[in-house]
Amino acid sequence: MIWRSFTSEWVKMRRRRLWYGSYGAITGVVVLTTIVTIAGALHHANGRGDLTLAQLAHASGLSQGLTQSGVLLGAVSFAIAASQFGGEFAHGTLRNLLVRQPRRYVLMAGKCLAVITFLVGAVVVATMVGICAAFVMAHLRDVPTSAWTSGVGMGDLGILLGDLAISACGFAIIGMIAGVLLRSSVIAIAAGLAVLLPVETILTDAIPGTARWLPAQLLEAIAQGGSTTAPFGAALITVSAYLVGATVIVMLVFVRRDVTA
Amino acid sequence: MWFHRYVSAAALATEPVARAIGQKSDCCAVVTSGLTKRFGKRLAVDGLDLLIPAGSITGFVGPNGAGKTTTIRMLLGLIRPTAGRGTVLGHPLGHSREYLPRVGALIEGPTFYPALSGRENLMVLARLAGIEKKRVDAVLERVGLSARGLDPFKTYSLGMRQRLGIAAALLPVPELLVLDEPTNGLDPHGIAETRAMLRSFADEGMTVFVSSHLLAEIQQICEHLVVIETGRLLFQGDVEELLAARAPELIVRTESRVEARRLLLLVSNTGRSARIVGDNESTTLEIAADCKWAGDLNRLAMAGGITLVHLAERRSTLEEAFFEITRNGAKQPIRESECSPSAARGSRRATKAWPPEARRP
Repeated sequence: MIWRSFTSEWVKMRRRRLWYGSYGAITGVVVLTTIVTIAGALHHANGRGDLTLAQLAHASGLSQGLTQSGVLLGAVSFAIAASQFGGEFAHGTLRNLLVRQPRRYVLMAGKCLAVITFLVGAVVVATMVGICAAFVMAHLRDVPTSAWTSGVGMGDLGILLGDLAISACGFAIIGMIAGVLLRSSVIAIAAGLAVLLPVETILTDAIPGTARWLPAQLLEAIAQGGSTTAPFGAALITVSAYLVGATVIVMLVFVRRDVTA
Repeated sequence: MWFHRYVSAAALATEPVARAIGQKSDCCAVVTSGLTKRFGKRLAVDGLDLLIPAGSITGFVGPNGAGKTTTIRMLLGLIRPTAGRGTVLGHPLGHSREYLPRVGALIEGPTFYPALSGRENLMVLARLAGIEKKRVDAVLERVGLSARGLDPFKTYSLGMRQRLGIAAALLPVPELLVLDEPTNGLDPHGIAETRAMLRSFADEGMTVFVSSHLLAEIQQICEHLVVIETGRLLFQGDVEELLAARAPELIVRTESRVEARRLLLLVSNTGRSARIVGDNESTTLEIAADCKWAGDLNRLAMAGGITLVHLAERRSTLEEAFFEITRNGAKQPIRESECSPSAARGSRRATKAWPPEARRP
């Protein structure tokens, strides 16, 4: 049943414009942040922990160059997921889907899986292109890259890819929740991004320690493999608890709510 | 599930209703009793007792905001009834997953993904329901969209969009086809095509439940009719029966105004009701009589030296009946046809109330 819903959603997501737009946006974000990160690397440490060229030359240098794209990648993932779910209400297409698949939780689970696989694919493609951009930038800044292709370097890259994918999926699930609750892609994207980016950032700056509890901050920490305020394991557990709880609530709302769109 | 709980709680008090629904669901595609939907303070559907005979084309009419779409959405499991019960294709309303695989629906106009082609839009629904790809091509062919099936939906004309909506409804080979305003915005050619299509569906044995504002269309294609207003049932029964219940009239035109007045007097003397239509110069009379009395009228006029230049029977239209029903809705008793295959075929059977136990106080 979920497989049917999954493949049905993929018929929709196979369209070329969505593919180019989404993959292009995510790849663009990763490439841009990689270029900015490597271009901004310092020759000497400044004591504030900013990335240096010497650090870039290490085996983990490639993943450090790519890791800054987590939040922007998350924002794009959020927007794509919110538009996929909110759009069903806004277009009125949800009623067609529910007549053909009355088990609402099955429909939602299949859609969610399809969006997540779509985004994981986008993260993989974007990371590959980002790696190419990192090599080009390293060459321009005379950073040796031999350590990047070592076993340790590849291992770090794999971990980074996993962290970025988990983070993007987390943002996508929040997007799905916003789309279903707000029933409009425009409102969901606007409200969601406003809360996840500026509001959370202001709260984090204003109240010390809140980064350990705010979802976008936690997902950003996961994308970076953990941070000083939110270690990876703690961030993963907290955000998983949030997402599971919110998903259950949204499923219940979706299953019980009248479809008037 | 929630609906089942409601039914279980109410079952003890309304066992006869449950039995009645069970009996009626054998011959009717849709049976409801006391179906009610309330949105906050607004009562959208108020205790609707529907009977849609199997194999019939049933028209569902009512003014804007009467509750037609809400009723259809409740039948399709999109909206939860506030109260009431019913069956669709023999399954309780709360178990839409049991009957929806055999139901096709076009609700409130065709809505599809604008960037996808017509075929891709149907594929989305077909994949979801586990319907084979070849069925998509078959329904596109059926509604005459094969040639444009690969074009984006956003490039379709309104008529093509409606046809794609009907194609989507046909995907599961439905036993019950629910169409909400399928002729909305169509040109006369499109309306005629849709009419022919609906007839062909009924000929294949489908039960067609169609809501429309176009009463002339309903009169032409529907055998059975449901009229609602402000969420309440005003009439359900055979269209023929409804029209036959209204007295036919003879329309007569004389050569002059004086003759018209003399004929009016002569007809009045026979005890029949008659009136001159229009202003003082009018030569046209309406007489409450059917065509059987036309000969007598002609002889009466000849005997009085009056020349008739026009004599015809005028039967009332569905539009007139509709306006009369909706105008007098609150005062008129609800009439419901017996649910039977013959009723579905439009026979003039005696009407009877159903189910008496289901009437709310």
